Amino acid sequence: MERREFLKGLILPIAATALPVSPVRASLFQSPIKTNVLRPPGAVPESLFASKCIRCGRCAEVCPYRSIVPRDFLETGVNAGTPLIDVTKVPCYLCMKCVEVCPTGTLRPIAQQETRMGLAVIDRYACMTWQEGEFMLCRTCYNVCPFKEKAIKLDELRPVIIEEYCTGCGLCTHGCPVTLENGKKAVNIEPIYAFGKVRKE
Amino acid sequence: MNEKTKTSKYRPIRFFILLCATLLIIAVPILNNRFQFTFIQGWYQSISIGNLWFVSPLEGLESILTSRMLYGPLLVGMAIPVLVAFLLGRVFCAWICPISFLSEVTDWFIRILSRKKYRKTRIILPRRMLWASLVSEIALAMIAGVPIFVFLSPPGLVGRELMMVILFKTVAVEGVIVLAVMAMHLLSPRLFCRHLCPLGGLLGCIGAKRRLYVEFNVENCIKCGMCSKACPLALDPKNGQALSAYCWNCGDCIDSCKTEALSFKWREIKVNDENTNHKVNVKSNHSHQNPVSHSL
Repeated sequence: MERREFLKGLILPIAATALPVSPVRASLFQSPIKTNVLRPPGAVPESLFASKCIRCGRCAEVCPYRSIVPRDFLETGVNAGTPLIDVTKVPCYLCMKCVEVCPTGTLRPIAQQETRMGLAVIDRYACMTWQEGEFMLCRTCYNVCPFKEKAIKLDELRPVIIEEYCTGCGLCTHGCPVTLENGKKAVNIEPIYAFGKVRKE
Repeated sequence: MNEKTKTSKYRPIRFFILLCATLLIIAVPILNNRFQFTFIQGWYQSISIGNLWFVSPLEGLESILTSRMLYGPLLVGMAIPVLVAFLLGRVFCAWICPISFLSEVTDWFIRILSRKKYRKTRIILPRRMLWASLVSEIALAMIAGVPIFVFLSPPGLVGRELMMVILFKTVAVEGVIVLAVMAMHLLSPRLFCRHLCPLGGLLGCIGAKRRLYVEFNVENCIKCGMCSKACPLALDPKNGQALSAYCWNCGDCIDSCKTEALSFKWREIKVNDENTNHKVNVKSNHSHQNPVSHSL
C-alpha cells in the first residue's frame, strides 16, 4: 500500500502533464513569482528556473538575513524547494552570497548593481506623498534604498523610481509604512524581468 | 574455532560513517543558524566544504537534461561523486545516504524487539526494476520539463526537511516521501533502495565495472548461506551476485562470513591482462590467492 502511495506521488506530475488544461496542472506548473515574491539575484528566467534548479537549498542556507525561503509542494507545485524572496517579509540586502554558491548556474554570479529581481513601482494612489490636498512627508523608501539618488530620487519631496538603476531588492517595499488591504504596499516590486526570454546580461 | 568468534570488521566502521554523515547534515544548519557558519553547506544533493563542491550525479544530470544547458561548475561538482561511483560502486548508498542510516537504526530496533538477527524479505520484486525506475524517472523529468528527483529524492529530502525545521521552523509536505520510504522498509527490508531508488540505479550503473568489489573464494566457502541472509540487498555473494552492478559494497556479507570466503578486493586494470593474453594464468592465480591477504 505504501509503495502504491509513493508511486502515486511520482506519477502525479506526469498525470498532470497529460491532462489538457486543468486547475491541477495550472497550480502544479505555475511559477510562484508574482508581485513582491521574487527570485534571488542573478536568477535565470522563470521559463528555465524550475528545470535548472536542483533544490539543494544552499542559497537559502548561505543567506545571512534568511531572505531566501524555499516553499513546499502544496504551495508551489513543481517549484517546491526553489528559492523565493517575499520582500514584504524579509527583503534582499544584496549581499550577493547566494549567487556565489549556486552549483547549477541557476543563480549566476553577477555584480550587486546588475541585479534585476524586479522593478519597484510606486502606487501613487496609495503613497502618502502623492495624495492630493493633504501633504504628508515620508521618504522611507528613499532613505532605505541602497542606490539612493540613482535608483530613487525625490521630485519635490515625492519619491520617483529610476528604472535603469532599480535592482528590485525590495528594501523600499519592506520599509513602506502603507499596507493596503490586499497586502500590497505603496511601493511594490514587479518581477518584470523574470518572464522575459532573454535576460539582460 | 577462532573464526566463529570473529568480530564484525566493516559494520561498526560503516555505521559510524553513516552516523557522522547524518549528524553532519543536522549540525550544519544548526551551526549556520547559530553562528553564521557557512564553511560547510548543504546536504547530499549538493554539499560544499569551503570551495570544494559536490553535486549529486542524478540531480546534476536531470538539471542538464531538463534545462538543456551545460554549466561548467556543475560538471566539476559532479566529477568527484561520479569518480567515486566509478571506482567504488554504489558506496554512497551504503556508507553515506541518510535513508540508509534511518533504515539501519530501524533494523537495529527491530532486531532488539524480534530477537532475530536478520529480517526476512517479504516482497520479492525483480531486481531490474531499479534500472526501469532510473529510466522512467529521467523520462518523466524530461516530459514534465522539471527535474522530479530533485524535490522528491528521499536522501535529499532528509536534508531539506532538516534545514526547513532548523532555519525556518516549518516542514515541507514532501517529507511524507521519507516516511513512505521508511514504511516500505518496515514492510520489506530496503524495498525502496533495492527496487525503486533512481539515484541508486544511476550510481550502480556508473559503478558496474567498479574497482572495489567483494571477492568470493570458493575454497573457503562452507555454503552456510549467511552472506545472502546478511545482504541488505538480498544478493547472493556465493553465486557471484556480489559482482553485479547492484552490490553497494557495504561489507555486511564479509562480516557475516565465518570462514573468510569473502573479502574486499581491488580489481587491477583489465587491459594488461588482455594485452599479455595471460587470462588463464590470472584466473588460476585468483583461485589460489590466500584470503588473508586483504588489499583493503
